[in-house]
This record gives sequence, C-alpha cells and structure tokens, in this order.
Amino acid sequence: MAVNVKSTPVRTSATHRSRRSRSRSAERIRSFTLFGAPGLLVYACFVLAPIAISFGYSLTDHNPFNPPTEFVGLRNYRMLFTDEEFLTSLRVTTILTVIVVVVPNVAGLGIAVLLDRRGWFYNAMRTVFFTPMVLSSVVVSIVWTRMLDDEGLVNQALRAIGVDRPPGWLSDPGLALYSIASILSWQMLGFCVVVYLAGLQGVPRELTEAAEIDGAGPIRRFRSVTWPLLAPALTINTVVLLISAFKIFDHIQVITHGGPGTGTTATIAYNVLQTGLVANRQGYASAMAIVMLLIIAVAAAVTLRVLNRREVNL
Amino acid sequence: MKHKALLTALTATVVLSACSVGQGDIQQSGDATAKKEITFLVFETPNLTPQVWDAAIKRVTDKYPGISVKKLVSPSEDRVSYAKQLLASGQFPDVMIAVSPAGFAESGAMAPFTPDELKDFAFPNNGAVKGKVYQLPTNTQTIPVVYYNKELFAKAGIDAPPKTYAELLDASAKLKAKGITPFVVGGGKDPFASTLAWTATLATDLYARTPDWMAKRRAGTVTFQDPDFVKATNKFADLAKNGYIDKKDISRDYAATEQAFLDGKGAMYPMGNWFAAAGDDAKRKPKWEIGAFNWPSDDGAPVVPAFTGGGISVSATAKNLPEAKKFALAYTLDKANLDNSVHNDGLYPAIKGYTPPSDTGAVFKLGYDLYQQGVRNDSVVQAFGWEAGDDGMPPGLVDKWRAAAQDLITGGRTVEQVTASLDDEWAKAS
Repeated sequence: MAVNVKSTPVRTSATHRSRRSRSRSAERIRSFTLFGAPGLLVYACFVLAPIAISFGYSLTDHNPFNPPTEFVGLRNYRMLFTDEEFLTSLRVTTILTVIVVVVPNVAGLGIAVLLDRRGWFYNAMRTVFFTPMVLSSVVVSIVWTRMLDDEGLVNQALRAIGVDRPPGWLSDPGLALYSIASILSWQMLGFCVVVYLAGLQGVPRELTEAAEIDGAGPIRRFRSVTWPLLAPALTINTVVLLISAFKIFDHIQVITHGGPGTGTTATIAYNVLQTGLVANRQGYASAMAIVMLLIIAVAAAVTLRVLNRREVNL
Repeated sequence: MKHKALLTALTATVVLSACSVGQGDIQQSGDATAKKEITFLVFETPNLTPQVWDAAIKRVTDKYPGISVKKLVSPSEDRVSYAKQLLASGQFPDVMIAVSPAGFAESGAMAPFTPDELKDFAFPNNGAVKGKVYQLPTNTQTIPVVYYNKELFAKAGIDAPPKTYAELLDASAKLKAKGITPFVVGGGKDPFASTLAWTATLATDLYARTPDWMAKRRAGTVTFQDPDFVKATNKFADLAKNGYIDKKDISRDYAATEQAFLDGKGAMYPMGNWFAAAGDDAKRKPKWEIGAFNWPSDDGAPVVPAFTGGGISVSATAKNLPEAKKFALAYTLDKANLDNSVHNDGLYPAIKGYTPPSDTGAVFKLGYDLYQQGVRNDSVVQAFGWEAGDDGMPPGLVDKWRAAAQDLITGGRTVEQVTASLDDEWAKAS
C-alpha cells in the first residue's frame, strides 16, 4: 500500500541545522569509538605496532648481542638487492607460491565438481580431502619426510614396479623444492575443495536448467554459467593460497632446513628467521620481513583487484 | 558530583590495594625461611625425558632445600634460539643447560664462572669467551668416532679397521664393490648429520697441524682457501664423488640415519660418541657386532677430534645469582647426574677424578677407550663445527658450513666455490 506523505515545509534556521548535523556527527563518532575501538586497539597493538617496530629496526644494524644499535638509514634495503642469498630465497618463494596457487586451485576445482553430489560416499570423500588441512604442518612434514625418503614408501613402490634408481625427492637439489611444493599443494587441496563446493552449491539450479533447455552441453554450461559464478570462490582460494605460500616456514624447517645444500629450499620467511635468530642480524632480518610484507600486500591487492572484476552479481 | 565521589572511592580502593599487595611482597621476601626461586631452561629428547630432568633437579633441591626450581622446557631441541627469544622478551632464564654462550656472553647476558668455581673441571678454560668461562665445561664428546659394522666389513673381506687414510679408501672401495654403502650419513632437518666426515678430515688435515686454526681465522691470518683446509675439503668431497657417500642419504634426518646404520644399510657411521646410547640400548642393539676406530690420518698418526663443554650457564641478571650458581655447580657435579649423562647420552664427564660407572655398554667403552688413548698420547684436537666461545665460528656460520657440506655431497658447488663462500660468509657474520 502506497503512503503519501505530505511534506510540510519546516522553517529551520541555518544555525539549528548546523547544530543538529554536528550532534549527529558526534553521535556517530561516539558509536564508532564505542564499537570500533576495541577491535582497532587490538589491531593497532598486535598488527600495526609490530610492523612499525620492525620497520624501525630495519633502519638500524640492531644485533642484540653486539650493541650499540646504530641508525643506518636504507642501507639494509640496498644490501638486500645485491644479497645473493636473499635473491635466491625470493626466487624459491616465488616458484613455490606459483605452484601452490595453481595446483590446489585446479585440482580442487576438479575434485569439487566430482564431489558436488548427494550421498554418504561423497560426504565421506569431502572429509577425506579436508583432513590434511586440519593436520599440524609439522605432522604433515614428518609424515611426508618419511614417505619421500630414499627408503620411503614412494621409492619402495617405484622399486616394486621396476624403477632401479628412483629419484631423491628431498635430497636432489633440483627436485626438493618441487617435492615441498607438492606437499603444500596436497595439504591446501582440501581447503580449495571446500570453498569450491560451497561456491558450486550457491549456483542457482534454474540457471543451469535454463542453459540446458537452450541446448548447452555440460562443458558449455560449466564455462558459461557455473565458472563465472565461482569467481568469489576463486578469489578466496587464490588470495589465501598466495598469502599462505609466500610466508611458508614450518615445512621448510622440518623437512629440509633450507637444503639440500645452500638455499635450495630456503624461503624468505625461513631466511628471516635464520638471519634474525641464528646469525643475530635482527636489523637486516627486519628489512627482509618488511620487503616480504610489501610483496605479499602488493600481490594480494593486485590479485584481489583482478579477480574481483570477474565477479558477477546475480 | 556523584561521579566524582565514585571516582574518588575507586581511586582510593586501587591505591589501597596496591599498598596491600606491596606489603605482602615485602613480607614474603623478608621471610628468612622463604625459598629462593630460580628458573631452569631444559630441553627434552627421547633420552632426556621430563622424568629424567625432574629427578635430576630434585636431587639438587633435596641437598639445598632453600632453592626452588621452576623448570622451563624449550619447545624444540633448538634451545639456543628459544633462549634468544626469552632474552629478547625479558624472560631470560636464570640457569640454562647446553645453550652455547656465543653472543650471550659478549653482550653481558651471562655471568662468568670464577677459577675457584671451575676447580673441579678437567678442562676449566674450554669454551672461554675473551678469557672468561660462561658455560661449565662439563662433558667431552668425541666427534666423530667411526663406528663400523663388523659383519659388512667381513663380507667385503676387510679384516681390521683401517689405520691410514689410504687404507680407509681401500676399505671403502671394497665395500662399494660388494654393493655396500661405505658411509652412512644423514641430513634433512638435521644438517649436522651431513658433516661428520668433513669434521674428521678437518681434524686430521687441519687441526692436527694447526691446533689454533680458528683463533688464526679470527685474527685474519688464515682463510678457508688455505691449502690445509682445501685438502681436507677435497678429501670429503671425493668421498661423495667416488660414491662412498650416497648423496640421496642427505634427506634422512638424524634419527633415521642412526636407525639406518643399526639396520645395516651402510658399513661405517662417523658420529659423535653419543651414538653409544643407541648402540648399547638392549632394544635397538643390532645382531651384528659394532666396532669403532678414529678417522685415520695419512700417516696413521692418531688424531681424536673432541669438544668439551655443553654444560650449564647462568644469567648475569638472575634475581638470585648466588643460588643460581650454587644450583648450576651442584647439578653438574652430582655423581648420579654425571652417571646418568653417561647412560642416557653416552657422554664423557670432564670432571676431575670422575670415572664412568662400571655397567656401561660395550659401544660406550669402545669410544671411551679411543678417547682415553687420545688423551694419553696427546692427540686430542678440536672438532670442527662444534667449537665454542673464542674457538668457535661467528653466529650463523655453522649453518652455512653445514649447508656447504651438503653442496659438496650433491656436487652442487665445487670445493673452490665452497671455500670462497665460507670466507665471504665469515666477513658478513663478523
């Protein structure tokens, strides 16, 4: 039922309007302060302040075991760009990130499509795929170290089928990084499957039915209807995988300790810890951490912007 | 007005509470019978269980009832990094065990021990930093002893352990010809397990000739590219090049490496004498007999690489420093604790007048006898990569050296590249 509201001209003075507007603003600020302050305070204390402190340290030669600390300006940052070890870790991290973003995304989508059905079997399979995700990364690392060892299950299986000299998955400097990327991909796969399944279940059935009536086959239906509507799931998966892979440390520490040899699997995060806590060069390690933060922030922002453009509103 | 009254009441309450808390504290600390608490950082391993630590601590607190101990457990075996975190967050423990004093000592975080406090130690100046000892030099470890599988030696037609380096290479060739991996090495998350044979060649070819090599390196009068270091490194690299070390083994962590030797997957196992704890363990003991020899030098002259240290350190800022030192010394010199370190970790206590218990295992005795011979004929040298204090490398360099060992095994870098990079890393770390 439509309601006609007859507007009555109210004569209000400019001063009165301004006072009312000021009062509203003050109220908004009060509400914002009341509800937002605790969150902001926590964020400031545990995120912004540590970043600011790290940035401060990155401009010094801070070594807790070799005082005094001196201000060195941007010297640490300049050194990073000629430091072979840092550049190697940047390369290692980039390769690892690319693999970990692509493989679980692609495999996760395929598995999600296969599991997007009703029944106890499919429910059980979803649990199976998600299980690695809830396991501690240390547990996963130990299990895979044993499996990929020269005498481990994988090589035993290869020998059983006639491979005389199976590869050294974790001992060959040319293979170790890809082995670790595979372990990470395996662990993150469950997350991608769950997010894509949620996305698939949000695709309106009437749209796929309409496409079917229009004569679209399964591939065309997927490409033209389902895939565009999975854009939010792709965005979530990609950004989460990107951030997780870029700051990976625990798997490296447990499986290879940055080896075999010098830096073959040493990521930036691993390098930060080694430089800061083992070599005690905490000013330099802080500069590495700040650069890592910037790279992740820029990569995540660009990815979000690009992928958000693909998203469609129903 | 009402608010003001409430505020005044609240303030008064807070101030009064603060006063009463302060009074309570004063009373407690003023109590002459109150125990003096110290914090003690330990780490757990399959051998060093919570029960082992608790019993060891109790023995000391029973003797000194005025001391109470709050045990802190390192979340991993890397207690040095954990101690650094605790120091950075203002929670540095009063007493800590097996935390290398490098860095802590120079920055004034640890308290030095006086000559009088060190009078019971066999090597009182070991691990000194600028002439002062910050870690009780409690145990000696020979690193490495070469443990070998007598059955596999016999299978390859080797009658006796090699006495010269040429004989060692000859034995390795015979073993390889029989399809037996000559040397068992490891790596993975424990990269030190890749380095033992290199420590051995550096003992026979570097430290035996220049016992103060590390001091000279600190002074800048020698480098990693000098002939003796290069020769020792070439020997190590050649073992891998000739297939006497299987490069695939470097993905195996320390526990798996030890098990591989016990499972007969290789003939020789250069390892610290702590291996005796596993070799003598009734549950893990292999059916075949374990032998042991010192890594041979070119001319057969005996060389025994060893490290003495690894004991307790005390924080310079410990609230109860005298009690912390009293606890450290009592814990270290307690006969039962020393006997336990022999049984649990295969260590050789470096305490004057101490003799290991008579019920030690055969593998322990093999290593101990070799060490005693080394002491008698004055052939004990530093164990490269394990030195501490002024004899050690700068912080962080040991990890680079361990990674370099893996590069040499895999062939990822040449000897020239490795030695040059170690000099570069030294310059960065100094």
